[in-house]
Amino acid sequence: MTLSNPTHPSQSQTESPLSPQDLLARVEALRPKLGDNFRDEIVKSLYAEAETIARRAVHAKGEARYDLDQRIDRLVTSPIFGLPIMLLMLAAVFWLTIVGANVPSKMLADALFWVEEQAAALFTTIGIPWWITGFLWHGVYRGLAWVVSVMLPPMAIFFPMFTILEDLGYLPRVAFNLDWLFKRAGAHGKQSLTMAMGFGCNAAGVIATRVIDSPRERLIAILTNNFVPCNGRFPTLIMLATVFVAAAFPPLFASLAAAGSVVLVVLIGVFFTLVVSWALSRTLLKGEASAFTLELPPYRVPNIGRILYTSLIDRTIFVLLRAMGTAAPAGAVIWVLGNINVAGVSLAQHIANFLNPLGGLIGLDGVILLAYIIAIPANEIVVPTMMMVYMGTGMMTDIPSLEGLRTLLVGSHGWSMLTAVNLMLFSLLHNPCATTILTIYKETNSRKWAAFGALMPLGLAFLVTFLTASAARLLGLAP
Amino acid sequence: MNFLPVIFWGLLLALLLAAVFHPQRGVLARWRMNSRSGQRELVEDALKYLLKQEQSGRHAAPEALAGAMHLSGSDVLRLITRMESQGLIISQDGGLHLTAEGERWAMHIVRAHRLWESYLATEARLPLNQVHREAERREHRLTAEQLNELEAALGYPRQDPHGDPIPGRDGQVAVAQGMPLTAWKGETPGRIIHLEDEPPLAYAQILAEGLRLGQVVRVLEASPQRIVLSDGENEFRLAPAVAANVFLEPIPDTQAAGNGSMPLSELPDDTVAEVVALDEACQGYTRRRLLDLGMTPGARLQPEMRNFFGDPRAYRVRGTLIALRKEQADQIWVRPLN
Repeated sequence: MTLSNPTHPSQSQTESPLSPQDLLARVEALRPKLGDNFRDEIVKSLYAEAETIARRAVHAKGEARYDLDQRIDRLVTSPIFGLPIMLLMLAAVFWLTIVGANVPSKMLADALFWVEEQAAALFTTIGIPWWITGFLWHGVYRGLAWVVSVMLPPMAIFFPMFTILEDLGYLPRVAFNLDWLFKRAGAHGKQSLTMAMGFGCNAAGVIATRVIDSPRERLIAILTNNFVPCNGRFPTLIMLATVFVAAAFPPLFASLAAAGSVVLVVLIGVFFTLVVSWALSRTLLKGEASAFTLELPPYRVPNIGRILYTSLIDRTIFVLLRAMGTAAPAGAVIWVLGNINVAGVSLAQHIANFLNPLGGLIGLDGVILLAYIIAIPANEIVVPTMMMVYMGTGMMTDIPSLEGLRTLLVGSHGWSMLTAVNLMLFSLLHNPCATTILTIYKETNSRKWAAFGALMPLGLAFLVTFLTASAARLLGLAP
Repeated sequence: MNFLPVIFWGLLLALLLAAVFHPQRGVLARWRMNSRSGQRELVEDALKYLLKQEQSGRHAAPEALAGAMHLSGSDVLRLITRMESQGLIISQDGGLHLTAEGERWAMHIVRAHRLWESYLATEARLPLNQVHREAERREHRLTAEQLNELEAALGYPRQDPHGDPIPGRDGQVAVAQGMPLTAWKGETPGRIIHLEDEPPLAYAQILAEGLRLGQVVRVLEASPQRIVLSDGENEFRLAPAVAANVFLEPIPDTQAAGNGSMPLSELPDDTVAEVVALDEACQGYTRRRLLDLGMTPGARLQPEMRNFFGDPRAYRVRGTLIALRKEQADQIWVRPLN
């Protein structure tokens, strides 16, 4: 082996010109004769060469110091402050996302729905049949508009903030802090980062698992990412927490109770992530924790231009386009189901009646299941679809006032506390949206894992809600 | 409520399940045995057994083959007839002999088994005590060309994770070296080069004690009841029957233990140290990863911080801060610098 002399590759060529085929054939023949650990020698010589070049080119005054970095590291990984700092950061990101997205979401929805109204009115005046207008504007367009106005503002806030923490160098420290938890579950510490990303969007979380370099742990992170509720599912959770949990408390504690119950749902999600990771790493994805290596880069000032680019173009727009691609057909399907009447009742109502026994078994009802089936493309439209069927309107409908909503759900459609709790659990655990399933397929390049990633959570959701419903009924807590 | 019908149906169900799923006599096992691939697996397992017997200088009788493969007398006779008609074995003096063709095929299976073991241990990172069983299932499924590709992808390993030599493409196999621990003389230290993985119970005990390939050990005490080893820090106790499955080779004096090296995980905080070597037991993916991060022999590193549970720990190496779990840090040998 002539590794020690990499600067003169032309020597052998001067004697007998070797054709590339001959050369490869010779390599092939010589290769098995090398020792077991010749790779060690290659890497060693590469590093030696790199060091020589670096010494020639770079002049350093004294030893490099990392005092400030070390001081920050001691603080953010300390036993006393480490976890509180982390939780505080997470809470701040959530709060800013939810509060900050409220107003733009509303404005966006108003603007987009105003366009719908004008366009529909225009279509009607020039005499286009009602069903074309309805299908195009109240179906396809409304589905698109809904997804855009619910998804875009939170993502446009969440992803840049997440990227700032990433660029700052803080996120690898979170992985460092939490690794003990994931090690016990047979997973990788960096899974905590992909989970945090999943709060923004599970599809983005699945893509983010590329930072995990060992294939087994990466697959675990991909398959369990669904158990952190994404932006699309938060509205459902918040609605339920406000209407059911908060209403059970005196006004002073109402908002605190609502926030607390959302946090509780998130924690349940983390619990299921760890349990399922643990189970996977002992059954289907058996193996020892492979090389855990985590680079903790030096802290640096975030580069704003790069942050805006990666978070808005790479993440927000990318995810949004994929979601829009699946939301448009869903909008069409919803409109068709809501507007075709058989025997005086809409198709949607027929299907809901058919699904009722199954829904009842797990403490929900047929309408909720129907909404989840239609909402496979995008979870944002679960609540509007439910409202549509309950209120008998022919298109996705916004939530009425909180008081009206309570009367509608509890008074007219027999929701109980069990319905609310199980809907929260079902929303947390059920199958990921079509965008995420598609992303799992693209990332694993395997139909098998994509199917498993969709069906395993669905099965788990049915199992858990069935158990809670049965337990509540046995104890006489629910009808 | 009447429990009798429940018990009756439960028992009936259990019987039915047993009849279908019993590993040797169940319907499924029968069906598998009689299917084409099942028959080939049976032939290949028999070839492997006969090769092992021949290598230890014996010729197996049909009864021994039946016993080793858990087959009834009539099943094993049918198997032998089939193998004879395929020209793989000949019966002679009450023993079964492999023909040249049979030996070639048997070698292919051994090669497949050991390459699979290497892959499962170093790339898929299956726990060492499960590697053998998984390889038993997979060894029947690859062609010679696919094996060559696997071998190239693994970087032409010479031995499997237990230290058994892997036969080459031409079927040549390096002679297994080393001396069983039970025959090792006196106080001279030796390096573990082979841990026999059969029977699995003995192998599990060896692993549970913490012995591994490449470790340098000394015999402290050898009596008919037990054999006590030391690697300079820990003591290992083995029953002689188990110790016979551990094979050692002598080491040159210069490499003997006591050069002051220790696993990185035991390096005290804020001590600068130099990498001596990566552990021999650390192969494949993990080894490549650690090398890529700059943990090459001679590199300097220093522990800088710990997780509040002590693990993982972050080390400064080549100007970068890199966190490793204890399992990885255990496989890097370092020498503290003063």
